[in-house]
Amino acid sequence: MDVLIVEDARDQRKLLSAVVRRLGHTVHQAEDGVQALELLCKHPAISLVISDWMMPNMDGIRLCEAIRDGRFARYIYFILLTGKTDRDATVKGLSVGADDFLRKPVDYQELEARLKSGTRVISLEQSLEQKNEELSKTLASVESDLESAAKTQESLLAPPAVIQGVGFDWRFQPSQILGGDMFGYHALDDEHVMFYQLDVAGHGIPSALFSFTLNNLLMDVDANTSMLREQLSKPPYYQVRTSEDVVASLNQRFQTNAESMLYFTMIYGVIHSPTGKVRMTHAGHPETLWIRPSDGELQPVKDTGVPVGMMPGMKWNYSELTLKKGDRLFMYSDGITECENPKAEQYGDERLRNALHGGRHLPMKEMIDGVWSELSDWRDCKTFDDDVTCLVLEYQGG
Amino acid sequence: MGFSNRQEAEKTVVEVDESRLDASLATPFRDYIFDLIGQGQKNLVVDLSKVDFMDSSGLGAIVAALKQVGGDGAVELANPQKAVHDLFDLTCMDKIFTIHGSVSDALASPKKA
Repeated sequence: MDVLIVEDARDQRKLLSAVVRRLGHTVHQAEDGVQALELLCKHPAISLVISDWMMPNMDGIRLCEAIRDGRFARYIYFILLTGKTDRDATVKGLSVGADDFLRKPVDYQELEARLKSGTRVISLEQSLEQKNEELSKTLASVESDLESAAKTQESLLAPPAVIQGVGFDWRFQPSQILGGDMFGYHALDDEHVMFYQLDVAGHGIPSALFSFTLNNLLMDVDANTSMLREQLSKPPYYQVRTSEDVVASLNQRFQTNAESMLYFTMIYGVIHSPTGKVRMTHAGHPETLWIRPSDGELQPVKDTGVPVGMMPGMKWNYSELTLKKGDRLFMYSDGITECENPKAEQYGDERLRNALHGGRHLPMKEMIDGVWSELSDWRDCKTFDDDVTCLVLEYQGG
Repeated sequence: MGFSNRQEAEKTVVEVDESRLDASLATPFRDYIFDLIGQGQKNLVVDLSKVDFMDSSGLGAIVAALKQVGGDGAVELANPQKAVHDLFDLTCMDKIFTIHGSVSDALASPKKA
């Protein structure tokens, strides 16, 4: 070990150095605190300092303070030499961060014992530092994995689109890089377009992975494997499955277990594009808001049902509505209405409805932007506690 | 803070002495209930009177308890505060659980198994 001896009295310094060297250590010498700090900077191997108290320029107490002020990345064990035997010396030394004390005149057996205990502490510190470094590396790799998973999630989200005269737009803000909210839409045939939104319980990796799986299943348009169309033996050889059927079969397929406690709330709906007729099912999900710019109404669409995956054999209801040209359906996760401001008040239904009512004549994207900027002002903080999602459908006339 | 239980009218009343039953408590709460079920206490009344916030994870833990009890017992919920009641309404929990206005109502109701 590299030991630095700081002592202004030349004879004492030489003597102490010789003893420490004989104990098998590499010795560095300084005449005062200023010189000691220079040596500590120059020789990163020095991890233990034996310093006198009274010295010109910079004394032992101020040297110890300087070492403890954070300028060195490594831990430096500090033994203070003191001629004083009184309690005050010990208190003062401890308060500036000295690890140990050695009384003058130095008893060499005691010195050896104190050096040994210092070595023990230093090796503990070093192994801690090493573990810390390993942890930081592991954390960095986990974080980069999370980021790449978040990018995958982003790439799964359907871009805003107009399908058969039905416009879709959305906003999505995950709570902790990865979220359990997911949504999508696509054509089922030439006159039916499906849309869904779901919110897997909990946050983070398990919820996100589950939402990826569900998305794969729901976005599958291949006639043979899709669970959204039922195969028939006669032309046209398929039938679009009803919303309540699709939800019920998801429920059969994904039952939560005691370990994962994963289930999800969702909206599944199908719009008949030539007529604007919609059939949709809500499974424990916040109600859809039906925005009708023509008469200024904002009507909640609600068909009460439990979340998916809680109990096998459940049945769901459905809502049926006919959209007029310009009507919109605003679907959202509870992250919007439960979004808390700094005073822990929730954003709530009423504020959301007012914001939507105010934006009902604006283009779809501007209406969403309006809600979002109001929500961000409400939150007054960059991060959200829960995923925050909205999906908007606009019937532009089939 | 924490959870406790007592025997009353042949049922086990589980008191949740926490103001938030959320993601941070979902696993400890599930484990606590599973321990009780493992000891053969399968008629549970969960007293929610002190809980003023529950999220999807908290709800997941209660559902896990119901699944663990299976056919030979019951999980009943008692005395939810408004915010918790709203969550139960949104998710139609009355279709899955019996929800009582008070613990004494829950204890007065017949034992299921």
